[in-house]
Amino acid sequence: MLKKKIIKKDHLKPFLRKLSKDSDLVAPVRNELGDILYQKIYSLDHQDIDLSAQPQESAKSFLFPQSECLYTYSCAKGYKFEPQRDGRPTVLFGLRSCDISAILYMDVVFMRGPRDVHYIRKRDKTIIIGIGCNQPWENCFCNGTKTGPFLEFGFDLQLTDLGDRYFVESGRARGDALLESWPQFFSPVTEEDKRVRYQLVLEARSAFTRQVHVDSAFKRIKQEGVAPSIWEYLAQRCDGCGGCAYICPTCTCFTLFDRAISQDKGERIRTWDSCTHLGFTSMAGGHNPVNPKKDRLKRRFLHKLYYDYLEFKRPSCVGCGRCLGICFGGVDIGLFVEMVCSDHKEFVEKEPANLLAKLLIETGLVDEKAVQQALKEKNDKEMPLGKILLDKGLITQKQLAEILIQQLDNLENSSPKKRS
Amino acid sequence: MNQLIHNQMPNNSDMLCPSEAIIKDIIDENSTIKTFVVELTEPKQAKAFSYMPGQFVMVSVAHQGEAPISISSSPTQSGPFHLSIRKAGRLTSVMHNMAVGDFIGIRGPYGRSFPMKELENRDLLIVAGGIGLAPMRSVINYCVDNSSRYNSLTLLYGSRTPSDIAFKKDLAKWEKHPLVDVRLTVDMAEPGWNGNVGLVTSLLEDVEIDNKTHSALLCGPPIMIDAVSQILQNKGLEPKNIITTLERNMKCGIGLCGHCYMNGVYICKKGPVFTLEQLNQLDKI
Repeated sequence: MLKKKIIKKDHLKPFLRKLSKDSDLVAPVRNELGDILYQKIYSLDHQDIDLSAQPQESAKSFLFPQSECLYTYSCAKGYKFEPQRDGRPTVLFGLRSCDISAILYMDVVFMRGPRDVHYIRKRDKTIIIGIGCNQPWENCFCNGTKTGPFLEFGFDLQLTDLGDRYFVESGRARGDALLESWPQFFSPVTEEDKRVRYQLVLEARSAFTRQVHVDSAFKRIKQEGVAPSIWEYLAQRCDGCGGCAYICPTCTCFTLFDRAISQDKGERIRTWDSCTHLGFTSMAGGHNPVNPKKDRLKRRFLHKLYYDYLEFKRPSCVGCGRCLGICFGGVDIGLFVEMVCSDHKEFVEKEPANLLAKLLIETGLVDEKAVQQALKEKNDKEMPLGKILLDKGLITQKQLAEILIQQLDNLENSSPKKRS
Repeated sequence: MNQLIHNQMPNNSDMLCPSEAIIKDIIDENSTIKTFVVELTEPKQAKAFSYMPGQFVMVSVAHQGEAPISISSSPTQSGPFHLSIRKAGRLTSVMHNMAVGDFIGIRGPYGRSFPMKELENRDLLIVAGGIGLAPMRSVINYCVDNSSRYNSLTLLYGSRTPSDIAFKKDLAKWEKHPLVDVRLTVDMAEPGWNGNVGLVTSLLEDVEIDNKTHSALLCGPPIMIDAVSQILQNKGLEPKNIITTLERNMKCGIGLCGHCYMNGVYICKKGPVFTLEQLNQLDKI
């Protein structure tokens, strides 16, 4: 039977101090810019742990660093690789349910078939102490991915904020051992504590403002596929910056490269990579099997929401909502799911290129057939519509400038519905 | 100390750690392709290194990183293995400047091989273009060394010009072998060339195909694979009897890094060898 205890908020810091004696401690800290990020705690007296909001980045980098030296090599005499091993056990404290769920997904990626010893070495020495979310934040949709706001498993300990105290649940034997090692910080759970916690969990579940129907999207993709116009729309708005993959707690694609230290020595480095980067699939000689951009987006979204769903019976999206906040083109999982589940024509019609095409036809400036042909070419070549029309000599620069100004006026007069 | 660390963590548990290998010989195949004869330097590892035609290794070159390279020798020929490499990018260019006695790093072998067992007692049609003959060289030598198990083997090999024809020594050897029928073509003739001129597809016109007994193995540029598989299907060959091997950007070779991921599968693990039937099933959405 896994243990449940109460810890007073006053006792939390002394408890963490004990934990940090033999381990590195990582916890959400608010920095001088006001950002809350998971950070290594060097001094509990000088860094303030802040559990008031979802950290802006996930805890991915503590198990799968953004840049990591896997081996050093020497090539002076022969060519030998020597593994790098890092040391201390780590306590990841204050992890949100989405971030813990993401670690469970990473466990599958790095531990099922080919076992990644670099990940496993860190993972084996990691203790996870999570905190459930009493209220979801603006972009959260873990209700849709079933990865929060509270978890049933996956943690060593899970805290629930009951005001002046935390309800502490153990999720495995190692969690029990933590509670037993320092009994002075914990007190028994009362019926009242249980009741309050139950109420909080219920309230949290009903507090989501954003509904992202990941399950419905999967069913719809399975039945009908995805309309090509959705990929075309998303490709127009994606800049291929890879920000979504870097911020995503379950994106685990990486690249390996060598960094020379001297003529005879070097390091083999592993860094995060993103499937939306143009170079991700290109090969020596220039051939690229996943091109253009819409193919890359297709690969990204279907991997998370379709193929992983087929394999694991759940998506590899944990609903943390961070990609919604980071993409300046709005090309995020929320939008994709919304487009798949709805009649996406509304989005497509409002696309600037399609508005321009409509205007060109309405004003009679370019023949409708020619506009349709140019639109098709635009999607195939991923070039701006205006440029194609200019290249074909269907419109002069002056005409294009005038019609674009008209389009801007129209847009200003009917400012499009902002996605809530 | 180094020894201690290596002993504690043997290579088979750390699949991303390359092993040292030495270049024992280099064969110039044409102006851009060289075959490197390679052996792992650790005798136990060298002895344990086993593979099948179609598998690949990750090759490390100091300061250049790694690249996936298919093995071009046959496991029937014991001893060092061969890597036939076209000068195509940064790593391969550096490798082309290496000499006998230089060291490279090797991980693998990885991937699924050609189904040599299932292909037994069949008539094999091998169609290759340029460097695409490298993995097929492994297949052909495997068949030649087990010639009683295979019915016949026809090789159609296309090169750009007669001087681009690679693996000339192998071609000469195969031409003499009763199992193998070698047919060459070039895109552009040069003085002294009496052979066929035209794309490799032009050689297909004279080839009789019987779906009951034939299997085709293709390797070459994507456009060649597409054209050849279309013609073969028109001639009645079913997609399950058309086998090809895919080239992809790969960083790990073991199904982790994501670069070769396609529609739910990692090419490096489920492939790189696929039947056309398998590829058709993959591309569903």
